[in-house]
Amino acid sequence: MTATRTILPLAAAAACLLWLLAARQLPLPGWPLDPEGMSLGQIRMGFGLMPRGVIALLAGAALGLSGAILQVVLRNPVADPTTLGISSGAQLALVMATIFAPDLLAGGRWPIAMTGGLAAAGLVLTIGARRAFAPVTMVIAGMLVGLTASAVATAVTLAQGQYLLSLVIWNGGSLVQQDWSGVRNLSAVLALGGAAAGALARPLRVLSLGAEGAAGLGLNVALVRLAAVVLAVAVAASVSAELGLIAFVGLAAPALTRSMGARGIGPLLLWSPLVGALVLSICDGLVLAVEGSGGEMFPTGALTGLVGGPLLIWLLPRLRGSTPPGTETAEGTAPRLSCPGRLLAVVGLGLITAAALLLWIGRVPGGWAVLDPGSMAAFLPMRLPRLVAAAASGAALALAGAMLQRLTANPLASPEVLGVSGGASLGFAAVTFAVAAPSGLMLTSGTMAGGALALALLLAFTARRDMPAERVLLAGIAVSAFASAVLSATMAVGDARSWAILTWLSGATSTVSLAGALSLAALAVAIWLGGLATSRWLSVLPLGPSVSGGLGVNLRLARLVLIIMAGTATGAATVITGPLSFVGLMAPHLSRRVGLVRPADHLTGSALIGAGLMLVADFGARMAGFPYELPLGLFATLIGAPWLIWLMTRRPG
Amino acid sequence: MVSSGASSLGPSRRTLLTAAGAFFAASTPLRAAEPPRLAAIDWAMLETAVAIGHMPVAACELIRYRADVVSPRIPPEVVDLGLRGAPNFELLQLTRPSLILSSPYYTRYEDRLRRLAPVLSLPFFLPEEPPLPKAMAALTTLAEHVGDPSAGKVALEQTDRALDAAAARLARHSDRPVALVDIGDARHLRAFGFDSLFGSTLDRLGLTNAWTGKTAFSFMAPVPIERLAKMPEARLVIVGPIPLQAQRGLSRSVLWQALPQVAEGRVHQLPKVNAFGGVPAALRFAGLLADTLDGRA
Repeated sequence: MTATRTILPLAAAAACLLWLLAARQLPLPGWPLDPEGMSLGQIRMGFGLMPRGVIALLAGAALGLSGAILQVVLRNPVADPTTLGISSGAQLALVMATIFAPDLLAGGRWPIAMTGGLAAAGLVLTIGARRAFAPVTMVIAGMLVGLTASAVATAVTLAQGQYLLSLVIWNGGSLVQQDWSGVRNLSAVLALGGAAAGALARPLRVLSLGAEGAAGLGLNVALVRLAAVVLAVAVAASVSAELGLIAFVGLAAPALTRSMGARGIGPLLLWSPLVGALVLSICDGLVLAVEGSGGEMFPTGALTGLVGGPLLIWLLPRLRGSTPPGTETAEGTAPRLSCPGRLLAVVGLGLITAAALLLWIGRVPGGWAVLDPGSMAAFLPMRLPRLVAAAASGAALALAGAMLQRLTANPLASPEVLGVSGGASLGFAAVTFAVAAPSGLMLTSGTMAGGALALALLLAFTARRDMPAERVLLAGIAVSAFASAVLSATMAVGDARSWAILTWLSGATSTVSLAGALSLAALAVAIWLGGLATSRWLSVLPLGPSVSGGLGVNLRLARLVLIIMAGTATGAATVITGPLSFVGLMAPHLSRRVGLVRPADHLTGSALIGAGLMLVADFGARMAGFPYELPLGLFATLIGAPWLIWLMTRRPG
Repeated sequence: MVSSGASSLGPSRRTLLTAAGAFFAASTPLRAAEPPRLAAIDWAMLETAVAIGHMPVAACELIRYRADVVSPRIPPEVVDLGLRGAPNFELLQLTRPSLILSSPYYTRYEDRLRRLAPVLSLPFFLPEEPPLPKAMAALTTLAEHVGDPSAGKVALEQTDRALDAAAARLARHSDRPVALVDIGDARHLRAFGFDSLFGSTLDRLGLTNAWTGKTAFSFMAPVPIERLAKMPEARLVIVGPIPLQAQRGLSRSVLWQALPQVAEGRVHQLPKVNAFGGVPAALRFAGLLADTLDGRA
């Protein structure tokens, strides 16, 4: 580790310098600290800036340790508390507790954050266990669990109808301190966690030989894995509970450590906390410096979040061990219909009937009502666009999902992880903040532009390297991570505009015009036709790149075309439903399970099922809380998530 | 839900038809003598309508409004239109508004509102601009739009009188600047600047706002609590309740206890007031501030 000899001291010096820069305005208190005899400036120093400097080191070290343990035990260089959804799980638990049972927080945030983090980790690991803990799949599962947790947290916050300042602050991950209690808590956690990690180092090294070899040497593999994951979650959850969401330090620290030449589990576990401490200290020092020069207060966690996206992209080429094709066919052999045309016709007919029915019935104050022709004429201009828009966005997302799942041979591939939605959200946020009173058209254009930009980024990235298709998904995740970090930073600035963004993030069909709805429908049809035209690719690509290459498929072209189509469909649908719905993940699976296996049938079935799912979600979203219209994407998520989790955790076959 | 719906299908259908019939009747030009049927999307506009004595027939998010804003009271017969971010357009149409009250926050669906009824959208909160004058001007504008200019005039005079009275009561407290904050957690607060409704009202009451720093659209959040040390002279006025957890944290915090405002007992707490309200919210704030500083709360 020659590089460490120069880089680490330099980094430590930079961290010190930045802290001193902030500290030079305040007088030094005497030691030991006694608030009685201290001036206010000394108190700010002794109980504000000094514990802040220490806690940055401690929290960074804790996150670095947690990330290193996770990466070792999962043999996954992109695992960390953020990418595995642990932080989001902790966040959801804290949101729930803050709103529904504030008394629970009396015992401190730690037990609650811990419970939420463990639940999320448990879920991700269960999904991963069915898929041999394949790194990319784990991260995708973590992302989906994390997105769902955030969506539910958003829903609950929205239902609360007001801006919960404490939650926003927590999301931002601020290191501001005003006494030494946080330092005491985290140093205890770090000491215990470090000792436990030391004890686990040897079993983990044995485990790294492979599960069978380790079992042969008499190691209880399951127990070691469980202990390591629980330890990592406990350490990360403590930081979450104490300071809030500080993303990606756990990813960055082991990655940097490895890039500096640390080999083996021992050095990784030893150096990662140190690197993590320096990373977080430097980030916090930068925040302090900006703040000191009269800038705005900016939460440190939001800054580290910004690092996450670029970091993931940097890590991508180093990622070995992509999932071999075949291990991902979690569905087992699906039944194959001999006569799929009839089924498709029935589904299509059912869809039209349902749409017509939903046009006619609805809730009014006091109950339900069926429209007569007169009221129909009055209500049609309001109901038709949103029905069309919901169905079209469902179809578009389902098509995108079906294409991605076939392209990457990964059943967890979904439009949400493509990054296009994240880019679209950023576009929406940018317009909201740039213009005082943005019109619907401006917001739509902004959203489209953001999505297109993310898509272009993704394409540039995939075109540059000839990489396994599922790494496209990781690139998408990187873009999404970056987008969500920027969004949470803007949220932390916190005002009425953040509220508008939060509302949009959960999706709404209520503002769509008939022209907008019809153009979305036309786009969905175009994508469907495009999908049919490329059905040869779609039938060969799931067999893996070597087989498809051997069969004469131009891999690069096929990827490019399919990603463009999927991205366009996702971007357009995002404008209507918000960035999250899971319809794009669910519909292709459903379609396959009813026996639509051939690519053309699969696509058509997915589109019809997606449209139907979204219609149902839209109806439910409008009716469940009448007159309060719940966000569409959110409602679809709440319907779909339990089913998806069941599907993903089920044993294959 | 569905089973109960089936049983109530008959009568509610009649309700709907009557309402829908009335909707068509209303689409014929309105006679001037009829009282206006207002529907408020924005809370500040809702309050403005109440202030000029024209209670809307429908408004958004009343469940939360009644819980959070307390006063002015909204009678139970006012129809709840659902979320402000996503109002129920069908229900809005059924309430046959003659004028929809909105604000620039909701520009993105203003076109749709316009298809149902004329829309009056007034800005209250713009960056770097004090909202109180806008809220007062809104009284006049809205009164003119509903064809009742005298109501606007009366409301404006009443507001001025009430603010003058509050200013007189507060005059003896003008020796110190006032820091208006809202506590987020034990480490952070948000400060209300001059372009917030409270800051702007404070100005009108003749008091000085201790927060002179930058504001991000009405208030700056979240600010570390230690920033209060930079305004040691100020009276600290906390608007709204302190979250349970923050109370516990603050009582233990060395820095908080050492802040001159806290150490010298210059901390005051107001009940909930709508930070994004209209004139009634400003008056409620002024009254509560005078009561609290006089020690009568």
